[in-house]
Amino acid sequence: MATVEEPRTFIRPDGKEKVTGTGRYTADLVLAGELVAKFRYTDHTHARITRIDASKARALPGVLAVVTHEDVPDVLYGGMVQDRRLFAKDTVRFEGDIVAGVAATTAEIAEHAAALIEIDYEPLPVVTDFEAALADDATLVHPDWEAYEGEESLGRHHNTLGYSTIVKGDVDAALAGADVVVKGRYVTDPVSGVPIEPRAVIAQWQGDKVTVWTSTQVPYAARGGVAHVLQIPESQVRVVVPLLGGGFGAKCDFHFEGHVAALARAARRPVKLVFSRREEFFAVGHRREGMVIEFETGARADGTLVARKARLVLDKGAYCGEGGFFAQMAAMHAHGPYNLENVHIESSLVYSNNQPSSSIRAPTAPQVCWALEQHMDELAAALDLDPVELRRRTAIETGSVTATGQVLEQIAMKETLEKAVEMIGYGQELPEDEAIGVAIGWWPCFASSSGAYVKLNHDGTGTIITGAQENGTGSVMAMPTYVAAELGMKPEDFSLLYQDTDAAPNDMGSCGSQTTFNSGRAVIAAAVDLREQLLDAAADKLEAGRGDLVLADGAVSVQGSPDKSVTIAELASSGAFHGKSLDVPPDGPAAPAEGCVGRLGLESFHAPQLIAHAVRVRVDRGTGVVRVLQVAAAHDCGKILNRIGADGQVYGGVVMGIGQALSEGTQLDENGRHRNAHLTDYKLVTASDAPHIDIAWIETDTPNAGPKGSKGVGEPPCVPTAGAVANAIAKVIGARVHQLPMTPERVWEAGT
Amino acid sequence: MSVQTFTTAATVDDAVAALAAGSRPVAGGTDIVVGARSGKAAMPAAIVAIHRVAELHGVEVLGDGRLRLGALATHTEIAANDDVRKRFSALSDACAIVGSHATRAQGTIGGNLMNASPAMETGGPLICLGATATLHSASGTREVAIEDLWLGPGQTTALPGELLVSVEIPSPEAGSGSAYLRLEYRRQMEIAVVGASAFVTVHRGNVIQARVAMTALSPTIRRVPGAADALIGTDGGAAAIEAAGAAVAAAATPISDVRGSADYRRAMAAVITRRAIETALSRARQEDA
Amino acid sequence: MKVETTLTVNGTAYPLELDPGTNLLSAVRDVIGLTGSKEGCDDSECGACMMLLDGQPVNACSYLALQAEGSEITTVEGLADGDTLAPLQAAFLDLGGVQCGFCTPGMLVSATALLDANPQPTEDEVRIGLSGNLCRCTGYDGIVKAVLSVSGQ
Repeated sequence: MATVEEPRTFIRPDGKEKVTGTGRYTADLVLAGELVAKFRYTDHTHARITRIDASKARALPGVLAVVTHEDVPDVLYGGMVQDRRLFAKDTVRFEGDIVAGVAATTAEIAEHAAALIEIDYEPLPVVTDFEAALADDATLVHPDWEAYEGEESLGRHHNTLGYSTIVKGDVDAALAGADVVVKGRYVTDPVSGVPIEPRAVIAQWQGDKVTVWTSTQVPYAARGGVAHVLQIPESQVRVVVPLLGGGFGAKCDFHFEGHVAALARAARRPVKLVFSRREEFFAVGHRREGMVIEFETGARADGTLVARKARLVLDKGAYCGEGGFFAQMAAMHAHGPYNLENVHIESSLVYSNNQPSSSIRAPTAPQVCWALEQHMDELAAALDLDPVELRRRTAIETGSVTATGQVLEQIAMKETLEKAVEMIGYGQELPEDEAIGVAIGWWPCFASSSGAYVKLNHDGTGTIITGAQENGTGSVMAMPTYVAAELGMKPEDFSLLYQDTDAAPNDMGSCGSQTTFNSGRAVIAAAVDLREQLLDAAADKLEAGRGDLVLADGAVSVQGSPDKSVTIAELASSGAFHGKSLDVPPDGPAAPAEGCVGRLGLESFHAPQLIAHAVRVRVDRGTGVVRVLQVAAAHDCGKILNRIGADGQVYGGVVMGIGQALSEGTQLDENGRHRNAHLTDYKLVTASDAPHIDIAWIETDTPNAGPKGSKGVGEPPCVPTAGAVANAIAKVIGARVHQLPMTPERVWEAGT
Repeated sequence: MSVQTFTTAATVDDAVAALAAGSRPVAGGTDIVVGARSGKAAMPAAIVAIHRVAELHGVEVLGDGRLRLGALATHTEIAANDDVRKRFSALSDACAIVGSHATRAQGTIGGNLMNASPAMETGGPLICLGATATLHSASGTREVAIEDLWLGPGQTTALPGELLVSVEIPSPEAGSGSAYLRLEYRRQMEIAVVGASAFVTVHRGNVIQARVAMTALSPTIRRVPGAADALIGTDGGAAAIEAAGAAVAAAATPISDVRGSADYRRAMAAVITRRAIETALSRARQEDA
Repeated sequence: MKVETTLTVNGTAYPLELDPGTNLLSAVRDVIGLTGSKEGCDDSECGACMMLLDGQPVNACSYLALQAEGSEITTVEGLADGDTLAPLQAAFLDLGGVQCGFCTPGMLVSATALLDANPQPTEDEVRIGLSGNLCRCTGYDGIVKAVLSVSGQ
């Protein structure tokens, strides 16, 4: 185990185009004859549609296509449950449901035409209170839920889209016998991903084949989605992602590519959709879910956690998408990185007429961690123990067994805790309006299939062809360094062909912090395959034994005879060298998870990443305004392959976590409509509010890790930040803030 | 929402003629274009750009110590002026925290005042500093006290065809200090949820003159005479400041919206007012000493 | 009705015909064809469209293009000296100031304005000066370090 000290130099291959403004994002592309797409959104958040008449829109000069449900195949779609239509047919279920799309020569005409579409509705009761939606007699958001195709293990029932439990021992008996029992209820507001690039999609048909340029994090899922909703083969759909202006989960899953492809087909022209910031807030099917979280934990006087009971209700919003796993993921975060003797956690993912929630950076984790870590601090107070000391005594370590029965191998949970506490100067004298809070969390790796090719050009340079998606983190941009290391070449010798579904094998895309873990593994495997080919060719050429050959500095030479050598360029000039990967994701650890329901595979955490954050805040007691002054972030993410890239994830993730803690929250009205779908009142952290952040990487040798012992990096940095901020606030004001975000008003109310 | 005609005025007379013909003036564009883009109000059909009118520029101290701000004086120019910072501190405070550095560089005092937002930063300071606006039209020129400039959110008392050409602030008496403070959730890029301005004159330790104004707490920014009364004749101690803050809270008619509840705003009215007064007093005492 | 005008962007004069309501960002991106400046919001909050107007920062999305006639407009495309990156551009790359890159053009333009006005800013002055440019990726760390490094700190 070692702490990484020195940054390693890394200049991103896409850097020059990004700093000179010559790089092209989707909205920057212009195709000859392209039309502008605008959507007609529903006028109600829950209603039956009784009539759609688009004749006036179709008659408007400059309109080349109006598309409704009648113009596309009558199919449902959705990642884990197929519960959604491209264009609403008989029912609308949230503010962003699309009834029709228009393609016109100008944005003004398209907007005007969209407004001319006549729609009659029969309003239905609007389900906004997702906790109440659990009741047996609640209005059903999807009366046909039983008819939907979906993942079997979700445990769907009425408005409950997913139900998951973690059960171990007899929690009630253990609570009855505990020295101390602490209870708490926490509520979180929904949050948006807010990539700075609003999404854009362009579709162009050539014959029966459509090319879609889109700002997606998951090009292969987008391709599959377009093929499904238009009922055409995937081979007829090519998805290309130009530079992607951030995602944070908000651009995961398939969605608007289908609408634009349908419009382009109907208009017989290329069609471009560019979202306004307002649409980027309310219309997307990806936001962080609101939750209700209840905890009851019993401990012995020495801190031993004898019982944890939890009840979680998660607002899924109107549709499932890929987010069906949230109930189990939230349950695992309610377990948290702690040793627990008896457990009963139940977690329900519930349909409502609110905007659909789906993966946003570490889905479910920041909210549950925020609640759990406050709860742990409250337990520490009840036990009269220092909160850090309580965590020292109860946090998981190598060899710990989770409540689902997973044996944890080689983890550095406690080491990250000690490091964060050391970096922040825990225990120091502080002004009376300042305090330090600490929180810990965990997050799994996701092993999945990927593939890659590495080919050599005749001049000895090469091209890496990967299905991976670069969303800014640098995980794709770092691939030339891995390949160059295998081949004795320089990173700048390689170009990248990526973000094009016609080029590379299938890939999960930029989600789940798994690009290096899976796509990086594939790229390295392809490089190794190519290396073997080069060594074979060099052995022939040099008439030397394979075992005597050394690949370095752009040449293959015979060990001990430096004059016997051949350059890679010379080898490449005579052949068609290309390496490809074999797709072998590492196996995950098993967990019996006896008695647990809603098992989707998350009952064991593959190569878990461990995180400890310590933050120092200043609270203005008069106003409730909180400033985060300093953050110490210690992470076990296995071996760090690209320090600048990894640090960048922590800087950005922590600042996102601070936003979630203090200022970012979607406010919905009584009908589930956004009240602050703009950046004036949905407040991101600015440069002047971002604190100084110290980072430490605790490098462990994790079994079943990714390439070179790496784990994921991108999502964990925003997991425990809000919890640490909350614990610091509570120390200053002497009270708990039970709702996220902890706005000045809420802090002031709690402290008054 | 499309603009049909666009002219650029070279002189005040050009501008006034265009206004008489029904054009709306645009200077830095930071309100009018944003308002249209975010759907608050459509772009006017006729626009006269006044940003090239030389007579409307300038931050200038007149011979008797008065400050004259051309309508096109930007927040950046005003905030950077040492004399403004020293003698008209509340205005400097306000100009330094408007929007972003781009808003401050392009946004003008005239545009800010005529946009008539009850949350604008510069209004309260100008009221407290006793400023007047000069309005010019084809039929002549008139002066209006800043506190009489607004009717309600987005509504001014300017007559059709009138252009705000300048703002004048009298020279503060010896021993004066002023301050503007807003409740801000972030350090930058904020719109006042609650704002307070205070101007005080201290003579031999006693407050002999005071004006206090509240921002974002009523349909227009306005003075709270009761708050000033609580200070005048006192030594500016904690009890007087407390009473002044309470007077503002009592006078406030706040709304509840996404930025905060009425109850919170009312409570913050007292807190922010107290802090603005404390800063103004401390500045005044330095002058008095 | 379109109006004839000439806009000077990065030293090049472009004769154009514009609708009078066209904002500067749209004129530069859609009519002139320089797409380095980005559109990230509807209300001057994100700063992705930041340009310089006679050296002063402007949210180009909220400025009428016709008002810029007679002014020198600078965009991100005008920062490098031919193929040589400006020191700020190089520093952004060296110090982790670029991730997705969508805020980068506006951020670079804002930082250029900031350093022009204040060549030796403190860290807090840098943070205040860049607050009108939102970045969701970097936490601002690499960006602030880059600006300070160019100012010799």
